[in-house]
Amino acid sequence: MKFQVWIGALLLVTVVAISGCRKHAEAPKPDPLLSAYDTEPDWTDAQKIIPLDYQQSQGKRIFYQQCVWCHADATPAGPSNRSNLTPVPPVLNDGATLNAESDEFMQNIITLGGSALGKSAMMPPYGKMLSAEEIRSVMAFTRAVAQPAYEPPGRPASQYSPK
Amino acid sequence: MPAEEMGKLTGRTRVIFAVSSVVFLAVLAISPFKDFRREWKQYKRSYLRFTQGRPDTKKLLADYRPDIDQIWLPGMNVVDRCTTCHQGITQASLADKAVPQPFRAHPPIPHNVRDWGCTVCHRGQGPATEVAEAHESTLAWEQPILPTRFVQASCGTCHYANLPQTPQLTRGRELLAELNCQGCHRLPGIERPVMLGPDLTNIGTKVRREWIYKWLKEPRTIVDKDGDVTVNGYETEEEPRMPKFRLTETELRGLSAYLSVQKAKALAPSKIDVRVVAAWSKNPELISQGELRFRQMFCSTCHSLAVTRAGETKLIGGDIGPELTKVGSKVSPDWLIAWLRDPQGYLPHTRMPRYGWSDEDLYKVTQYITTKLTDSDLLTGVPQLGQPSEQEIQLGHRLFLEKGCASCHLIDGLNPQRDFGPDLSALGGKNASDLEFGAAKIPHNLVSYIQAKLQDPTSVNTAARMPQYNWNQSDLDAITTALLSMKGAPATSALQNLVVARKEAAFHPSGLFAEVFERYKCYTCHKFNGYGGNLAPDLTYEGSRAQRQWLVDFLKNPQTLRPTLVLRMPQFNMSDRDATTLADYMTMVLQHPAANPASVDAKQFTPPMVALGKQLYEVKYQCQSCHTVGGTGGYVGPNLNNAGGWLTAAWIEAWLRNPQALIPDTIEPRRSFTEDEIRALTAYLMTLRQSIKPQKTARITATHAAAQGAGR
Repeated sequence: MKFQVWIGALLLVTVVAISGCRKHAEAPKPDPLLSAYDTEPDWTDAQKIIPLDYQQSQGKRIFYQQCVWCHADATPAGPSNRSNLTPVPPVLNDGATLNAESDEFMQNIITLGGSALGKSAMMPPYGKMLSAEEIRSVMAFTRAVAQPAYEPPGRPASQYSPK
Repeated sequence: MPAEEMGKLTGRTRVIFAVSSVVFLAVLAISPFKDFRREWKQYKRSYLRFTQGRPDTKKLLADYRPDIDQIWLPGMNVVDRCTTCHQGITQASLADKAVPQPFRAHPPIPHNVRDWGCTVCHRGQGPATEVAEAHESTLAWEQPILPTRFVQASCGTCHYANLPQTPQLTRGRELLAELNCQGCHRLPGIERPVMLGPDLTNIGTKVRREWIYKWLKEPRTIVDKDGDVTVNGYETEEEPRMPKFRLTETELRGLSAYLSVQKAKALAPSKIDVRVVAAWSKNPELISQGELRFRQMFCSTCHSLAVTRAGETKLIGGDIGPELTKVGSKVSPDWLIAWLRDPQGYLPHTRMPRYGWSDEDLYKVTQYITTKLTDSDLLTGVPQLGQPSEQEIQLGHRLFLEKGCASCHLIDGLNPQRDFGPDLSALGGKNASDLEFGAAKIPHNLVSYIQAKLQDPTSVNTAARMPQYNWNQSDLDAITTALLSMKGAPATSALQNLVVARKEAAFHPSGLFAEVFERYKCYTCHKFNGYGGNLAPDLTYEGSRAQRQWLVDFLKNPQTLRPTLVLRMPQFNMSDRDATTLADYMTMVLQHPAANPASVDAKQFTPPMVALGKQLYEVKYQCQSCHTVGGTGGYVGPNLNNAGGWLTAAWIEAWLRNPQALIPDTIEPRRSFTEDEIRALTAYLMTLRQSIKPQKTARITATHAAAQGAGR
């Protein structure tokens, strides 16, 4: 009789254990570069590749169409226009200068141009040419390539009281 | 059985009964327990716990339901339960990289994730409720998640038209077209051009048998394992068009024999005037003059040459036509003269324009090419092949058809086999079980198959007829993306309605203009109504933009308008008649409705307007940051030194109002000028004039050297 009880108990434990312990498949963890929508080499170190998400890669496209002429040292067509301008515009990955600027300021200067914000009138306004979404994507790209890396400011104070 | 024993037995039965009912209850309990432990329910609960710790719990749980979330798109045959676990997918506050998966928000994309679901782009098994089944390939569902670097393939499944947002897909489609994949394969949306590889009907009049042998053994353009392209041993960024076929010695001899006897049409009379030859052949400056003329004609806009600078040899020039560093050792001199006189006489579909050569120029340039652009070692290692035998020719003829040469190259009287390679129009939707992996040790999925086949066709099928290509990783991925996008014709009418069709661009002029247009092949570099090349400005509305006289002068003596441009328009030695024909047609026909040159009278501009315009240009809007006037200013836009002699007032006004309305992809930002400011700026720009003087040779050489210095 003892024997049957043991059998029963053993059976019970096994069944419960088996049903509870089913192994979960791990979600695949891909290499961040392989799972990137697009990539951009670090401007200061071509060996380092920065992965870009969809929004940042759209920013990259618009940057290389519109901004590269004055905000980079080399352009697809050859020499940069930067040296022709006074004041000399910052290079896009210049984190020391651009990381300090808020998203709001960046959005405004691209949309309204330099003269509207008391900066150089050589920066033209793009508000009638690029959509707000496109301007945000250029900013996302700027933040992605910044050297030193861009740290977003702390989360704004919540409107909900923590529980 | 004795009574006392029966009592014992009853006791024992009771125990057994008790134990088995406990077991039975426990087994019954397993089912709800298992249900409770189901993967998606665990994720649901863990999302609840996760949101409790965050400040915006209420917002994050606004559309929370404890059961399965499902997006159903009946028209697309999509059932998508991904949002059951990926619950924060549209919550902007969860976009942070620190948020653990599967709760992180999706990066912003043009389609709303809640409307379209995930599998439309990422593939995978939509109805699945377990992680492994949803993401990986299973027996019942062989479409695993598409690695994100190929995700643009899914855009291409519906967007047949090229999107600016999907550069990798566009590049892949371009590569498929440029590498003539449609010569053998059926590829949707990629049209078969009139000519894929060169027409070989008269190849015997152009090159020798030894050269053909060498070319077939080792095509001139070679890509090494790292994807670096070399042409004739020099590094370049050109696309290799002729792939390498795996040919045996006998096959090489046969094919070279067969091709070297292709002389269907004798060379057109190509002799140069004897007086010119007599006058120049002894002149020590003959070759240097030829080189100068070669440069002045801007052959380098389309053809490249190897140039050694600072110990490094690089190819410099365009890639529209073939590289010419060693062409003098390749082609027969008589053929060269006939070709330059009338390229269409040899190859009816060539993009080479017909220049108006004088005998003198032609003699100088061909002498330069046949003496300087040569390499005595070109045919080293090629055996003496001698006269082709009838047997070799027969073999070559058979091989030409069997190897699929006839799919890309035309020979009069030979009919190529249609659909030589497999139809690839539905490759992107294939299941792994439909593919042959042979002995290849690669993961059995579609992406690995495509990449293995592209890298080495024999790796998955030892009998593959496909030639060997070499790629760099980014081109390999681009072509894989383009192939993955080809999932066949849409199965349902609802899907057909979703397809964004490829835009058919066409420009078929007629009459006298068409003749000149075709002769100079304007569309090789310029675009007209979306049809044509990308090398030079879009001329769709050139008639609204430029003044007629300026056009005539420019065509006869092209100048570069943008200081940073390396390549430029060749000098065609155009006759007055040709130049005026082109200019007349452009000013009459290539017009934009918003910029009618007759609508603005330049006489209305007054000196105060001009002064105001100058002020606006220099101070308020600082146009000099991009445009040059009088030697100072930026490199980005065209220089405006001769704006008054070049542009029409109507164009300047329309342009200042909205540049993108005239040329959609121009980079000139659209401003909010007032009408008065527009008038004043136009008045000022119309006063800027500079006469175009005939170019001096010395200056051309200087600009060309500068252009080469800038490199490509």
